[in-house]
Amino acid sequence: MKLIVLVKEVPDTYGDRKLNLETGLADRGASEAVLDEISERALEAALTYADANPGTEVVALAAAPAGSVSTVRKALGMGADRAIHVADEALAGADIVLTAQVLAAAIKRDGFDLVISGNVSTDGSGGMVPAAIAEYLEVPQLTGLSEIEITDSKVSGTRPIDGGAQRVSAQLPAVVSITEAFPDPRFPSFKGIMAAKKKPFETVSLADLGVRADDPEVARSIMLSIAEKPPREAGIKIVDDGEAGKDLADFLLKNRLA
Amino acid sequence: MDFSETPEHAELKSAVASIVAPFGRDYYVQHAKDREPCDEVWSALGDAGFIGVNIPEEYGGGGGGMLELALVCEEGAAQGVPLLLMLVSAAISAEVITEYGTDDQKSRWLPGLADGTSKVVFAITEPDAGSNSHRISTTATRDGDEWVLSGSKYYISGVDEADALLVVARTGQRDEGTGGQGRAKLSLFIVPIDAPGMEKTPIDMDVMLPEKQYTLFFDGVRLGADALVGEVDKGFQQVFHGLNPERITGAALCIGIARHALNQAAQYANEREVWGVPIGAHQGVAHPLAIASMETELAALMMRKAAWLHDNGLPAGEASNTAKYAAAEAALSAIDAAVQTHGGNGLTREYGLIPYWGLARLLRIAPVSREMIINYIAQHNLGLPRSY
Repeated sequence: MKLIVLVKEVPDTYGDRKLNLETGLADRGASEAVLDEISERALEAALTYADANPGTEVVALAAAPAGSVSTVRKALGMGADRAIHVADEALAGADIVLTAQVLAAAIKRDGFDLVISGNVSTDGSGGMVPAAIAEYLEVPQLTGLSEIEITDSKVSGTRPIDGGAQRVSAQLPAVVSITEAFPDPRFPSFKGIMAAKKKPFETVSLADLGVRADDPEVARSIMLSIAEKPPREAGIKIVDDGEAGKDLADFLLKNRLA
Repeated sequence: MDFSETPEHAELKSAVASIVAPFGRDYYVQHAKDREPCDEVWSALGDAGFIGVNIPEEYGGGGGGMLELALVCEEGAAQGVPLLLMLVSAAISAEVITEYGTDDQKSRWLPGLADGTSKVVFAITEPDAGSNSHRISTTATRDGDEWVLSGSKYYISGVDEADALLVVARTGQRDEGTGGQGRAKLSLFIVPIDAPGMEKTPIDMDVMLPEKQYTLFFDGVRLGADALVGEVDKGFQQVFHGLNPERITGAALCIGIARHALNQAAQYANEREVWGVPIGAHQGVAHPLAIASMETELAALMMRKAAWLHDNGLPAGEASNTAKYAAAEAALSAIDAAVQTHGGNGLTREYGLIPYWGLARLLRIAPVSREMIINYIAQHNLGLPRSY
């Protein structure tokens, strides 16, 4: 069984995230770069399966700037067997379609039984990449799973929807995305970190994958304008002089929060 | 000369930080106040293989060295949880047992030390033998194949958390006929914590620490031949193999405490406004923090050098002592500056700085006092006459 886990480097989820107003790109210097927590949960799901099923290969795949090596290596420290890092300057500011195209090309080139991804990254919040990859690969997709079960030929899971839960399954090969309901990821162990040094780490370019970022045949998102998020406005302080309950209720009604 | 940090060390620090950060200051301060061991942090680090980084892989350790262990100590402390028993259990006991223990002793003790499920603490200090280990009077006497241990030890940390003690005892003396006051021939013994005839009494300490300190009495404690670690009468030389690691990890703990206090103080000084500007804009507040920050960086550099020397089998005594001296001084000036930055808040439970002061103050005295380090440097670096 070969599991490919999509891992993404994002600005620290708990820090202040900033856009560069000249380029329209995320300002990567503004906060610490980390492995997206949802990627770590996806990796944990793959490693849990691998722990119970010897002979499983877990490959971490990232499309990230060349300087993101240490973030991708964290996946090796946690237990992935090897890593593929697609690094190419032409990927700066890549939209969902280009990102999916590139990752799908890397997955196809390597071969796979199952692709596991987080359902949505904490920075871009697009949530479309796993589905788009499945389309490019022409395999079934099970998105937004809250739990997963993998057998030799099939993957199944639960997909929470409004007012219920769907039981879904697909034949392998397939693409799944998982939600925050998945278990917390493990920490890289000391042995894991030391072993990661010897694990294969492959860096590939768009040319290696046969993908053109500026392919005129493919539609791409074009950013027209960019603005800084408005500063947070000061809140309203309600002092309780006997009327606070009413004032609170008025506030909620006025802001349509009730 | 290469000062760049390896990716493995960066990942080690980041992994330790992510394990310890969720506990953080509030956890440590509460445990220090309640005088309860930081078991949860110890186990979490043990589970991920960070307590036993320096223990050989064949005994379940990480196969790393003192530098890796020191980075674990430093980073845990920087996240607000300095683990004092790392100095004795992970540094001294693990190093000494690894180096001098028999295969049986290694198989018996190292796996538990490696995964953090067991601790072996270290007992050398005595009421009448503090820095002067030649005067150690706890005596181990041969009785057939066995040893009989009698005497007392003082300021032994973590006895309540340990499964065994590594005890330094007198097995003979060099100048016979001086009424038992001659320079001791020492040997090392592993004493199970439940050995009949051993009594432990907690010392009433005023510093707030999660780890408790004890007075120990050995009243004819019988030990098997397999309790002896290494060679008989070679304890003095053997202990030295563990003392540099204790100083290096002690320095690491102080550097982490300093980083923790300075981070907290810098954040406070950036947020707190009195005359319309953050108080950090005032040089009276900024300079002491900046000076402590430089002192901390200098100590960190020396600590890394000492660990590197030890790991490469080179003489590490001078560097270990210098690092421990500098780190304890840096930690104390960092905490003092941090308390001053916080004003009255610096003395409150809420801002939790005082327990770290207590630990840093302890580490100016132990495992070797600032004055003994200065004596050593005066004698060995400057060739001045021995002063004691």
